[in-house]
Amino acid sequence: MNFNLNRKINELPWGYFTISIILLLIGMMTLFSISHQQDPGLNNTFYKQGIFILPALLLFFVVIHTPKTFIHKYAYGIYLLGIIAVLIPYALPLRAGTHRWISLGLPFAIQPSEFVKIITIIAMARYLSDQSNKSMKYLTSLIIPFLIVLLPTAIVLKQPDLGTAVVMITPVFPILYWAGARPYHLFLLIAPLLSVLTGFNSFSFTVWGISLGIILYMSKPKLIIGIGLYFSNIFLGLLSPILWNSLQPYQQKRVLTLFDPNKDPYGAAYQIIQSITAIGSGGLLGKGWREGTQTHLKFLPVQESDFILSVIGEELGFIVIAIILGLFALLIIKTIKFSAFSNDRFSALVLIGIATIFISHVFVNTAMTVGLIPVKGLPLPFISAGGSFLLSSFIMVGLVMNLSKNHST
Amino acid sequence: MLKAENTVTIRQLWVAIGVTVSLLLILLGRYFFLQIVNNNKYKTKADNNRIRTVTIPAPRGLILDRNGRIIVDNYPTYILTAVPGEMKDRPKEMGILANLVKIDSSILTKNYLKYRRGQFVPARLAKDLSFDQISKLEENKRILPGISYSQYPERFYPSHSKLSHILGYVKVVDQNSRNKLENATDYEIGDLLGWAGMEKQFEKELKGKSGVKYLEVDAHGREVGHVLNLEKINPEPGNNIITSLDLGLQKHIEDIFIEKKGTAIVSNSKTGEIIAAVSAPIYEPDLFSGVISPNEWKRVIENPNNPLLNRLVQGLYQPGSIVKMISAFALMENQGFDPNAKLNCAGFYQFGDRLFGCWQETGHGDVDLKEALTQSCDVYFYKTIQHVEVDHLAKWFSTFGFGSITNLDLPIELSGVVPTKDYFTKRYGKYGWSRGVLLNLGIGQGELLVTPIQVAKYINILATKGKSPSLHFNISSEKTLSTYSVEIDEHSWDYITSSMFEVVNGENGTGKKALINNTDVQIYGKTGSAENPHGKTHAWFVGFAKRKNETYSVSILLENSGSGGNVAAPIASKIFDYIFNVSSTILMDHEF
Repeated sequence: MNFNLNRKINELPWGYFTISIILLLIGMMTLFSISHQQDPGLNNTFYKQGIFILPALLLFFVVIHTPKTFIHKYAYGIYLLGIIAVLIPYALPLRAGTHRWISLGLPFAIQPSEFVKIITIIAMARYLSDQSNKSMKYLTSLIIPFLIVLLPTAIVLKQPDLGTAVVMITPVFPILYWAGARPYHLFLLIAPLLSVLTGFNSFSFTVWGISLGIILYMSKPKLIIGIGLYFSNIFLGLLSPILWNSLQPYQQKRVLTLFDPNKDPYGAAYQIIQSITAIGSGGLLGKGWREGTQTHLKFLPVQESDFILSVIGEELGFIVIAIILGLFALLIIKTIKFSAFSNDRFSALVLIGIATIFISHVFVNTAMTVGLIPVKGLPLPFISAGGSFLLSSFIMVGLVMNLSKNHST
Repeated sequence: MLKAENTVTIRQLWVAIGVTVSLLLILLGRYFFLQIVNNNKYKTKADNNRIRTVTIPAPRGLILDRNGRIIVDNYPTYILTAVPGEMKDRPKEMGILANLVKIDSSILTKNYLKYRRGQFVPARLAKDLSFDQISKLEENKRILPGISYSQYPERFYPSHSKLSHILGYVKVVDQNSRNKLENATDYEIGDLLGWAGMEKQFEKELKGKSGVKYLEVDAHGREVGHVLNLEKINPEPGNNIITSLDLGLQKHIEDIFIEKKGTAIVSNSKTGEIIAAVSAPIYEPDLFSGVISPNEWKRVIENPNNPLLNRLVQGLYQPGSIVKMISAFALMENQGFDPNAKLNCAGFYQFGDRLFGCWQETGHGDVDLKEALTQSCDVYFYKTIQHVEVDHLAKWFSTFGFGSITNLDLPIELSGVVPTKDYFTKRYGKYGWSRGVLLNLGIGQGELLVTPIQVAKYINILATKGKSPSLHFNISSEKTLSTYSVEIDEHSWDYITSSMFEVVNGENGTGKKALINNTDVQIYGKTGSAENPHGKTHAWFVGFAKRKNETYSVSILLENSGSGGNVAAPIASKIFDYIFNVSSTILMDHEF
């Protein structure tokens, strides 16, 4: 077989792969702790996750051997297949109350949206790499990239899966920034969302209102436009809590449940409390592997995925948490650097997209375990149990290594 | 198009790295805050999550007699409990349970609500489970989640003595009663609390201190084991109370009082120790522990003779002639009174337009004070006492302890009535009464009301010539007892005691039936037959017996039974006989 596709295999940045394997091992160790009292079998999360390691590594090797030109050439075709893939669950009976899964007749199902996250980035990168930096200076030039990302995002949101939808849409901002879009334009796109969210807390809203004013002033738009933008945002922020409160509790619950059907939104507080208690009680060195009382006495919810970091915090303590966050920082910063120093625009855009996916998962998952953001079912890369996500994570590792700077040229 | 140049600038690179690093630093900071800064707070929280504290009840102290024989004991009974948080479907389980243990489900539910104190704390549903009921529960364990049984110490009376009035009883603290307790924090729902009698009086000593054990529970509240690093704290049993009672004598008197109404108190005059005390009719001491049948309960409650009344301290009676010694002291104090002067008794005495009769309708003839005491002549006292002031006589009654409580170590005591001038004026108006009341008071009739325990104290004062320690039951601690002293000149004491000796030993004495067959023992006494509105006279006998240095007093009351000399004195004889001729456990010096 001819490996002379991009470069020789031993020139790949294997250090990057090593980081992901260390994180995977920490994850497996934690899953073993959680499930060591369960019988071996498919209900045992440790075994179940273990089954996915081999396919994940297989996919990784396929990806690092796939020519970059191939990915670039068929980006749109893969994108179309991806759209079809996220639509398939709608044709299937509901699984766990959602249209997220495709059952292959195996004891476990595949979640196509995990792969479509990557596919969307590739399609966006393909489109934007065909545009010049200069052509990105107009607000209107953002329309097509947004359409590319909004189509799968909308489908995933409707499944419903708010967490994945958020992770899917986030990369569009750094990718556009990378492609030369004006940060001011990107800011204008995010501003209304921030206005609505901060509207529920007077302190955050004040901070936001001042920041918005300063940023608008410094960007020097036409006076009338600037004032219009400012006040429409403020008005939106003031209006949102009023509108929200005018809803009946059952209506509010319906809206919340629309985004996350699996969780009782009012039970979320209990989960956060138990997670914080688990983490806080762990201290510097933790209670010891397999010794976590919050974990093993089942006070901690969804320990194998959403709250796996709380298990680690309780059993292994702050030092291991710091090591994990350090490894993630290393992984993401490496990805960003590969992106910045890659040879071509397409690779740079794909890599910054993948970096964004990693940081979104790490931030949302970790912040949730310590109550900084509401409970959102999003797994921690390499560590949380979840077959599809493990596969897609190693596809991304493969992509990053594949697209990183070509030393041979 | 793969040839398009990468145009990312260093500035953009730093922005991206900067955003990444700051996001991760926020997270690291938050973990630091929780795990390092607030570690202890969350450690406690996690422990509170997993540790359930279970109380181990402390056995209550025992109540013993003077020889160490057990009067009140504990025995393990089985109680039926339910853990609210572990029950799946309460109404359904109560239904099944009711069928199994044959207790009405409404009773079970009522108790459940009464004793419920928390989601994971067992609430008691029933007690005194039989072996049969327990085995039924064991068989059906799986369909009754949260239902269990456990041992609980219950009060038990192995001696079969019927000291109910003195021992009192305990109650189980429930939601309601706990709220009313002063020291509520010392009690948990389900604890025993002394509610009457000695159980109440000595609650502090008897109570003990409950222990705790720590169980590890999971998120569903299920017990999964013991907490390794938390030592179980064993309960401290309550202190035993040693009483001055002698179970042998007590039972002896209880047998005498079967089917009778009245009281008997036997005490050591020189120490104040109560050796036996009976209030009849008697009820079984376990009446309140819920072991007896509803029928038995009804029988006690509806008895017209009111067995629940503790006559010893709450019964109010006219003392009749037994207080004539006090009248005699009042007379002897008067200048110009000659105890040896003989006065004629014709069987009645006219005062103003009223006739006052003597109990001996044929009259006693000419009698002096000693003869009047010995034969209990009423007319002698009618004639003499009218020269004494009402308040003066009242002072003498008070001197011997009437009109105020004796400070006995039991919770409730009535003080009785010693009427004074003020009392009569208040009651009848300034001109509504005359000195005629003195004639009644002088022979212990009229408005004068006393409790049997006051009488016992009075007789001890006489027996010790005014140096009588307070009456008490508890002899477990070396407490300095207050001595009640009465200052009277030696001559008067001698005159009275020798008169009392004559009552029992003299030819014409009314208390001759109190004598026993033992020449080492000198017996002194006084009879009384108190008129009352309820029928036959109350028969009284008070007295004391001396042998060497030991003095034992006896006071007997039999309600509506006739004359003291005929009815009460023979009982005193039986008691003295038991003390000096039968028992080997009462006298300190056993040489005969």
